Amino acid sequence: MERLDKHILKNGMVVLGEPMEAVGSVAFDFMLPAGAARLPQGCCGAGSVIVDWIFRGAGDKNTRELSDALDGLGLHRSGSVGSSHITIGAVLEAGNLAEAIKLYADVILRAGLKDEQFELAKQLAIDGVLALDDDPRHKVMLKLREKFYPSPLGRSTLGEIAELKTLTTEKTKQIINDDFNLPQTIFAVAGKYDFDAVVAQMESLFSNAKNGSQQDVAIVQNKPGYTHLHNDGAQVHIGLMTETVKPTDEDYYNARVAVSVLSGGMSARLFTEVREKRGLCYAIRASYHSLKEAAGIACYAGTTPDKSQETLDVITAEFNRLADGISEDEIERAKVGLKSALVLQSESSASRAGGIGGDYYILGRVRSLEEIKNKIEQTTVDSVLEFLRRERFEDFTVVTIGPKEVKVK
Amino acid sequence: MEFKKKILANGLAVIGEVNKSAKSAAVGFFVKTGSRDETNQINGVSHFLEHMLFKGTEKLSTFEVSEAFDRAGAEFNAFTSEENTVFYAAILPEYLVEVTKLWTELMRPALRNEDFDIEKNVIKEEIAMYKDLPNFDVMDRCRTLHFDGHPCGNSVLGSEESITNLTAEQMRDYFAGRYAPNNMTAAVAGNFDWEQISSIVESACEKWQKQPASRKLEDSQGSKKKERIEKSNLAREHICLMSPAVAAHDQRRFAATLLATIVGDSVGSKFFWELVDKALAEAAVMQFGAMDGTGIFCSYISCCSENVSKVLDTVKGIFENLAGSGVTKEEMKTAKNKILSALVIKNELPMGRLIDLGFNWTYLQQYRTVEEDISAIKAVTIDDVHSLIKQFNLGDFTQVSIGPVQAS
Repeated sequence: MERLDKHILKNGMVVLGEPMEAVGSVAFDFMLPAGAARLPQGCCGAGSVIVDWIFRGAGDKNTRELSDALDGLGLHRSGSVGSSHITIGAVLEAGNLAEAIKLYADVILRAGLKDEQFELAKQLAIDGVLALDDDPRHKVMLKLREKFYPSPLGRSTLGEIAELKTLTTEKTKQIINDDFNLPQTIFAVAGKYDFDAVVAQMESLFSNAKNGSQQDVAIVQNKPGYTHLHNDGAQVHIGLMTETVKPTDEDYYNARVAVSVLSGGMSARLFTEVREKRGLCYAIRASYHSLKEAAGIACYAGTTPDKSQETLDVITAEFNRLADGISEDEIERAKVGLKSALVLQSESSASRAGGIGGDYYILGRVRSLEEIKNKIEQTTVDSVLEFLRRERFEDFTVVTIGPKEVKVK
Repeated sequence: MEFKKKILANGLAVIGEVNKSAKSAAVGFFVKTGSRDETNQINGVSHFLEHMLFKGTEKLSTFEVSEAFDRAGAEFNAFTSEENTVFYAAILPEYLVEVTKLWTELMRPALRNEDFDIEKNVIKEEIAMYKDLPNFDVMDRCRTLHFDGHPCGNSVLGSEESITNLTAEQMRDYFAGRYAPNNMTAAVAGNFDWEQISSIVESACEKWQKQPASRKLEDSQGSKKKERIEKSNLAREHICLMSPAVAAHDQRRFAATLLATIVGDSVGSKFFWELVDKALAEAAVMQFGAMDGTGIFCSYISCCSENVSKVLDTVKGIFENLAGSGVTKEEMKTAKNKILSALVIKNELPMGRLIDLGFNWTYLQQYRTVEEDISAIKAVTIDDVHSLIKQFNLGDFTQVSIGPVQAS
């Protein structure tokens, strides 16, 4: 039975920890509530600028000194912008944890935010969006989320060129001030650490910092529909998404098992029908994707233009057919696959830090591996089918990028 | 950690590293064959064959194979490179026996004509997919131009044409020659019982016949040619630079890894400070690729068309500066820290460990503990890196760029 450490700092920031016996590494994440959906109108892409800019010097260190200090700890940095959060974190050898947290506190509370560095960070963010045109596989899924999720929840995490171009240092500093809101920030650590020491250090680094002031986000629903972006590439890249229950819903595990029947392994339906029987694609997969406010099943397939229509038709038929019946064997394989993926991921400190932080944000608590295993175990053919018949997979948001359009029925 | 090995009479190496504190295990087969072992006529066969191994045996249909892996909750896959084909699975210890048995069966596939014909479409789709990934495409083309006739330049995927013309008969011949037990290694890492697993492998594989499976080993100094390809649908310039380096069995490989990290790690490297930090390029990385009998330093850069000459001048400046002034003690220290921690973190997972275990045996016929690799990295001196720079001039490279059509 694993242990979960939890402490709430005086300023309201949550500190979570999951100790892991077999590792010598430690991973941590700061989840700052400054994700793409929280940005003010007209600032799409500010997150990409911020996640770069704040590492360009902090505390008493300039860009170079900060980077050398982080590298000197043998630390592997991660930084990403999501719908709800900017997450910055690292994985490193356990002995250097305190030193690393100190540097990250500087980055969050005392970033240099120099004007000339802003222009470089902004240019790189613009380049990142432009480079997306050469990566249609990635672009189609970003576009899909934008079209599927209620606005602004699916807003591009990379940004929009026009809005990035008009972004100023003042505006961006304001966003950092408002959205690096510590009472809403989650700190998660997993691996080898001493929780009392981590808490004492976090308390002394963050307790006196001032809080931001965040506005609630107004949400507008999107309607399912079809979007095509022309590109003279070799393949048509198809992204398709349909609504399903959120992680807080009691049917959550039925939904996860259903997706696994569709696309959990090589014997799952999409791989078998689209690739193995018909040879339509190399890449075909569907997975569960959720935000706190909404969730869906996202599917990707890449195929040459003359096969794109058949590919889409076979995929949607498989989604539709799922409620008609599922065998005991299929459910059993789906359950074993989900349970074993859970245990395999639990060996990595980085994936555990991400896991406990994400759970806390979405559910307000961290599920134990045991709880998740039991819930998966409790699903049955009947429970999954009963769920699918109530919540049919039938309205699709579809995005394609490539030389040819498809017909969406 | 405890290392175990058993070399069967037919030459199959069975190796394992037992770690009783792991929650999972990983098992795989490492076959010493890849695109460099192909002729032009059958180019792409190694990779195509890798796909065909999942299509079943005389006793198992394609679907039964997929079902068997999924029933065990295995995270399994395979990959093919210029010189290796690797099949692997990460699983919970209680499923290791059945997944090990399954792999041993799959290593003797049916290679049925009808499966071959359907899978040919999938391979062509994979070739099309990589055409839409210019960062992969440019490296593939650069490798071909760099090795310029040397077999290491053979494309792993093959071409639309070579795949169309390939026959199932040619694949069966290739299989018979290359998937010989003496050209393969079975490896296991993580939480498992060595006696049990090794005897499963032994009884399943001992009847396989030994075959002469050799490989021509020649070094290559690279063509140093330059080429640019235009594609109307591209937005950015994708540049690949390649130059010779030491081979996989060479003790200097640790110094080469350090040099590549100093020059082109994704953060904190020379490329990072001169190109990415200054927003001249959105990506600029260098890697050392150790191969059988040869090696490469390979850089990938992505930027806008207007910045190309400035970027290339900057890169030349970095290479010249390295040749003149070498690297600093600080750079050595930082690069060592980064490499050591990456090594430790990767090897915490049985799956990560399996790959190092298998490749060390394939290339060196040697078991190396993580600690030995750590010591080897620590022992590299600044003089080692400098003599490498002297011998392998980074500035003397083959170059391929793919980018948008330029106004003439």
